[in-house]
Amino acid sequence: MRPELLKGHLDALLLAVLEPGPQHGYAVIESLRSGSDGALDLPTGTVYPALHRLERAGLIASDWQTVGGRRRRAYHLTQAGHIALTEQRALWDQFSTAVTALLKTRTWPSTA
Amino acid sequence: MAIDRLATSTGTRPKDALAAYLSDLAAQLNGPRRRRDAILTELRDGLEQAMQDRIAAGLPRDRAAAAAISQFGSPHAVADAFGGELTTAYARRTIVWFIVTGPLVGIWWLLLLHLSPWRTGLIALVAAIPVIPLIIAAIATAGGTLATTGRLMRWLPETGPRRALAATIAIAMLCMIIDLTMITVIMVSSAPTRPLMIIASAASLIRIVYSITIVQHAIRMRV
Repeated sequence: MRPELLKGHLDALLLAVLEPGPQHGYAVIESLRSGSDGALDLPTGTVYPALHRLERAGLIASDWQTVGGRRRRAYHLTQAGHIALTEQRALWDQFSTAVTALLKTRTWPSTA
Repeated sequence: MAIDRLATSTGTRPKDALAAYLSDLAAQLNGPRRRRDAILTELRDGLEQAMQDRIAAGLPRDRAAAAAISQFGSPHAVADAFGGELTTAYARRTIVWFIVTGPLVGIWWLLLLHLSPWRTGLIALVAAIPVIPLIIAAIATAGGTLATTGRLMRWLPETGPRRALAATIAIAMLCMIIDLTMITVIMVSSAPTRPLMIIASAASLIRIVYSITIVQHAIRMRV
């Protein structure tokens, strides 16, 4: 799936991936890929900067840890992030219901 | 292309391949040093984890390193992708510097001109210091840019990297005009030279030099 198709939805996807618990950037990429059965195989250049932007907005926060001798940055949702995710889910439900209804194959009433 | 070179090289040790990739990336990242270092540390961890995952899946170490590098993309593409965040970080850091140092420069001019804003009122202050409108414009631009590139962007329209950089240039230019005006005003006033005058002028001159550096750097980042 092309990254540009996700425009406007990437923030919600990242928040959703981080909802169960903290994850580092590469694990987020892998979670997006495995959670979508490989459909969302997003490049590094899309995911990492998006995580930094969400942190700047205060929706996620990060902590540095040392794992196996390597410094690792793990991201987690903030309270504002949990609220934003709830809002995004409600918006997506509305949006997907509307689009699905319109895309269904059916006979449209004639206006003539 | 670096990524192809690294991926096809057979004589390169995996750790060297990752180091070369990160070195290539480091050379292309442009922004505050601490932010660049944090990005490189984070990507190094991601690359090594990607490599370990592939080794665990059965790939030899050199092919695992090449596959991890290939997954992350070319250093040029990754540097490009981080460009916006680094530009915004640079703009925010510079604007904070202007906000913090503003009072440190302004206090000397207030002491020199014997002005007490809390007593004289705004009209008398504007009459004595003609640059007050410019100071207000600079503070408004700085505050607005910080707000719309930080936590308030959840509610306010987000300012993109290019606009944040343009705002930084505008603030630096305003500071230059403010400082040059104040130095000119005091020089043509034929007031006797006093230590306060030297301190205030020196503070403004330092900020002028810094502002010129900022404008030059910011213009290079815009290109």
